[in-house]
Amino acid sequence: MKKLGLYLGCVIPTEQYAYEMSIREIMPDFGIKLVDLENVSCCGAPIRSINLVMQMYLSARNIAIFESKNIDIYAPCPQCHLSLIETMNRMKKSDKLYDKIVKKLREDEGLNYKGDLNVYHTLDLLYDEIGIKSIKNKVKKPLDWNIACHYGCHTIRYSDVERPDISENPTKMEEIIDAIGAKSNNYSEKLNCCGAPLMVTHKESALTKTGEKIKAIQDRKYDGISIVCPYGGRMMDSKQQKAAETIGEKLDMPVFYLTQLIGLAMGKEPEKLGINLNLSSKKIIS
Amino acid sequence: MSDGIVDLFNMSKPEKKKYEDLEKALDMIGLESPNICYQCAKCTSGCEAMKLLELQPHSIMASAKDGFIDEIIQSDEIWDCVSCYKCVERCPQKMSPIDLMYIIKNWYVSSGKQLPGDYQKLLQNILSIGYIQSPLEVNDKKNKSWTRKSLGLSEIKKPVDQQKFTKIISELAMEGLK
Repeated sequence: MKKLGLYLGCVIPTEQYAYEMSIREIMPDFGIKLVDLENVSCCGAPIRSINLVMQMYLSARNIAIFESKNIDIYAPCPQCHLSLIETMNRMKKSDKLYDKIVKKLREDEGLNYKGDLNVYHTLDLLYDEIGIKSIKNKVKKPLDWNIACHYGCHTIRYSDVERPDISENPTKMEEIIDAIGAKSNNYSEKLNCCGAPLMVTHKESALTKTGEKIKAIQDRKYDGISIVCPYGGRMMDSKQQKAAETIGEKLDMPVFYLTQLIGLAMGKEPEKLGINLNLSSKKIIS
Repeated sequence: MSDGIVDLFNMSKPEKKKYEDLEKALDMIGLESPNICYQCAKCTSGCEAMKLLELQPHSIMASAKDGFIDEIIQSDEIWDCVSCYKCVERCPQKMSPIDLMYIIKNWYVSSGKQLPGDYQKLLQNILSIGYIQSPLEVNDKKNKSWTRKSLGLSEIKKPVDQQKFTKIISELAMEGLK
């Protein structure tokens, strides 16, 4: 049994409940024991534009909290995952930055930052730690669908910060989709952004990006979309109808978290995976 | 940065001090000076905000390189970035237009100007509850409403001493990369 600290960030535990439910439902079956820690907060990524020092302090603070319990992190949100690892890298490179943040953490909060733990995301945890073979072994009801994989920008960029998959041609999600019986072919728009971060300043442009990406996938006759990012869930699933209105098209494209798809293939109860919360999934499961 | 040039659109001159501050801030997060940018525009060719909002990271890099920092601070363009990180990924000089824009947006904010869009709300929520928002009630496909509790999820973990957290994070508001 591998013990990991579940660090959910902001969006998963405040609205994208299906991601959290499906993670908690399937991970123990793969020998992952998830632990929740007190005192955690936002990772700072949503306010990079406001203050980078504040962003890095928040990331370092969360890292120090997990380090105090001597436990590695599982951060299912790619934005958090990037912010945590990037902060550790930046603090390693700059003594000035390191001193500034470490001093404040110690003096103001009594936290000892070391910056020396592993941070996993859903994709590398499933692919590199659990492995395709173990996933295959758990499949009871293979899914006979044709799924388009949407990785999300921060899952794959930028590569100076260790990412769950490579930037220009990621394939780990497709391999996992194949392992649970479904098909997943590459498509030209795969690396396109869903637009989520633009919701803060340009809502219509953000929804246009979401709508255009889903439209492209729908035109290619996929049965559904697989995602591993709560911002992707917010835009492509929860706001799919708003995106459709924004671009003046009809969109009816089921969106699932990869962890939900794996759970379905394992024969788990759809409700326990939060399938009823996916507002876009009318076609496949009612 | 080159001395002696003038922007003929508005007769502004390069700002040496701000350029040096920019170089220092970039250095603090492990990035090189903007003077290594040779304007290949690979950043702009991949930019996810280019088509819809006409963001051109390479032209921001050009202004930065010439020391016209105030022009960048005052341009609405810096708020058009969708944070896709394609510019960083593809830059042959290992420069980071997105981080340069973050630094300049940070200066815009610390100069006391009003935050655009929903940023004020995001910041306020992080300061007061530790997260960008409180747990929301969501509807399922049949329009039935759900909360963390009714879904069987435990309460969200928060900073234990919220008042202290607010104070500590607020103190960072005037901190910059210097």
